[in-house]
Amino acid sequence: MNGFPHFDQFLTAVDRDAALAETSSRAEAALSRRGLLGITLGAVGAIVFGKTSVAEAGAGLPASDVDILNYALVLEYLQASFYTEAERSGALSGATAQAVKVVGATERAHVKAFRELLGSRAVARPTFDFQGVTEQQRPFLRTAVAFEDLAVEAYKGQAPKVRSNAVLAAAVGIHSVEARHAAWMRELFGITPAVNAFDRPASRAKINRIVASTHFIVSRPRMKARNKPHFTG
Amino acid sequence: MRLRSPEVGLGEHDSPGEASSRRAVLGTAALAGLVAGLPFFRGLFRLGDALGSPSKAQDAKILQLVLQLEYTQVALYEQALDQAGLDGELRAFAEAALAHEREHVAAIRKALGANAGSKPTFDFGSRIKSAEAFRKAAIDLEDTAVAGYNGQATNLTKATLGAAATIVSVEARHAAWVRAIAGEVAAPDAVDTPMTAEQVARSLRELGMRTQ
Amino acid sequence: MRHGTRLAAAITAATFVGLLLAGLGVSHREKSIATATGFAALPPAPAPVLKVGRPKMLSGERYVSRWTVVRRPTAAHAAPSASSVVVARLGVSAPEGTPNLLAVLRARTGAGGALWVMVRLPVLPNGTVGWVSRRSLGSYQVVKTHLVVDRRRLQATLYQNGKSVFTAPVGVGTAVAPTPAGDFTIRSKLTRYASPFYGPVAFGTTARSAVLTDWPDGGFIGLHGTNQPGLIPGRISHGCIRMRNEDIVRLSRLMPVGTPLAIR
Repeated sequence: MNGFPHFDQFLTAVDRDAALAETSSRAEAALSRRGLLGITLGAVGAIVFGKTSVAEAGAGLPASDVDILNYALVLEYLQASFYTEAERSGALSGATAQAVKVVGATERAHVKAFRELLGSRAVARPTFDFQGVTEQQRPFLRTAVAFEDLAVEAYKGQAPKVRSNAVLAAAVGIHSVEARHAAWMRELFGITPAVNAFDRPASRAKINRIVASTHFIVSRPRMKARNKPHFTG
Repeated sequence: MRLRSPEVGLGEHDSPGEASSRRAVLGTAALAGLVAGLPFFRGLFRLGDALGSPSKAQDAKILQLVLQLEYTQVALYEQALDQAGLDGELRAFAEAALAHEREHVAAIRKALGANAGSKPTFDFGSRIKSAEAFRKAAIDLEDTAVAGYNGQATNLTKATLGAAATIVSVEARHAAWVRAIAGEVAAPDAVDTPMTAEQVARSLRELGMRTQ
Repeated sequence: MRHGTRLAAAITAATFVGLLLAGLGVSHREKSIATATGFAALPPAPAPVLKVGRPKMLSGERYVSRWTVVRRPTAAHAAPSASSVVVARLGVSAPEGTPNLLAVLRARTGAGGALWVMVRLPVLPNGTVGWVSRRSLGSYQVVKTHLVVDRRRLQATLYQNGKSVFTAPVGVGTAVAPTPAGDFTIRSKLTRYASPFYGPVAFGTTARSAVLTDWPDGGFIGLHGTNQPGLIPGRISHGCIRMRNEDIVRLSRLMPVGTPLAIR
């Protein structure tokens, strides 16, 4: 894939020796402070639909925790959509096809859980264009490895910032599952599932930059118009 | 050179040239930076705290626990590599995991210093006598490690939580790896259930750890 | 990777050493982990606030249809190869002003590793398919609905996951300007255009009249409302599928754009 310099470096490192090379990259100014969807911290509430219900389980959570949960939700959306599309593409076979069924189901369950907790404060599902990566087994696996390693880094980076113990307990239980996924995808790809004795965290800025460089998140196509119909009638 | 706390990503703002020299400096600089950033020096550890809320003393207690976990892992892998007739990918796994667990032991021992608990003795019985028995034991032990670390996440101070997080995901990778070697579903659960400290201790004893 | 390990170890070790420097004052007794009081003092993890349900495999996949839009102007080829015959040229917009929507059938990796996608083409003869470079297409969207128009029974039925959720009488083309049979796609939704002839909402399709080939905008078949509901059901149109206005409004709440359309 051309034009995705940060992600390419990321993938190359995965490919070369299964180590996550540090992406030496300049901060993209537009992305350094913005979330994965170009949403600034605190603006999350502006993009939800529906009314806020005080009866939601997540109603009592600190705003910063809601923000972290939504951040995790975007990454879960990304993964769930990625695995689901790959499963549907018919391009996968063997152990990979079997693994994707399980991991996809798990990520979809994660999405559902986050959405239920966040209720009307949940960020909406983005539109993803995976540009063929879900339709060829080798590129799919390479990207799956990168996504899972990224999710592990993201959860790790956010965990110490979580304020509510209940949210922290939930986050660590998912973080370790993502690490199992990461090892699984690496094993399928043919590289070592656990390179280092210590896995590193990643900042949101770094995660955002890498995800943005894939250009997988796109705007939803608008299929409605007000043009006068010119059908045959 | 700006110092960063552990939860901030590393290397993100460096140009290629700076990265390697920054790494060389960061080892010692990080220590100074982290220590300066930690709240220790503002107050002494609070003896009067409610039982269970995070504190340095509690961190130490938890680290003693996970040290026993790591000792057990080192011993299991060492003994299995010696006696269980491992070859192929299972052997490669055991060698890699052993190296990681040794690094974990070293790091935790360094943190606890003179107070680090000593290595227990182990009687793994038939678990190290065959490849398949070892594999099952490794899965149990790695799953216990994940559950044990996860169970303590809310009991740790934030700094130690960050450090523990860098370890628990490696244990989870080990667990998935050794399952995958046998063609098992590598991640059967959607969420990992935590264990209490007592449950961890019990699980370790069942697996073959004998305390002094 | 060496750097990463050393660096990570330095950070982690540094954190632990930081604890040490604070003077933990851990008593000799706490060296052994077997003390019951030691563990009783460690609270269990709080109840999870996130309720993760049982993971579910995909179901109803035989009702899944995928669609995409043309992201940049491109050629559709007869085979998954740039050197094969060009069957059609595709722009980014449909004549009705919406993105050019195509049904995705399957993908194939061509020589040199390029990915080609087989799509239904909105060209004559109806039913033409072609291969398009994946790079010229946008995101894949999924629908689980499909619309069947039965020209003999003069009836339209919408299925959701294989179950009928809507049915209504329709008007179709006359003998001289028939509604064509085949597999097509609902590709646009037009509203607020203020033309009573088409009713309150009109859907664009990829079906084309085989006879009205000189029609403005290519002679595409639409699915729309009407100002002559008394004629429905009947063979009355120039090819379009007409519905009574209350029916098409009801349908518009159930049928997303991208829904496959089978005309029998």
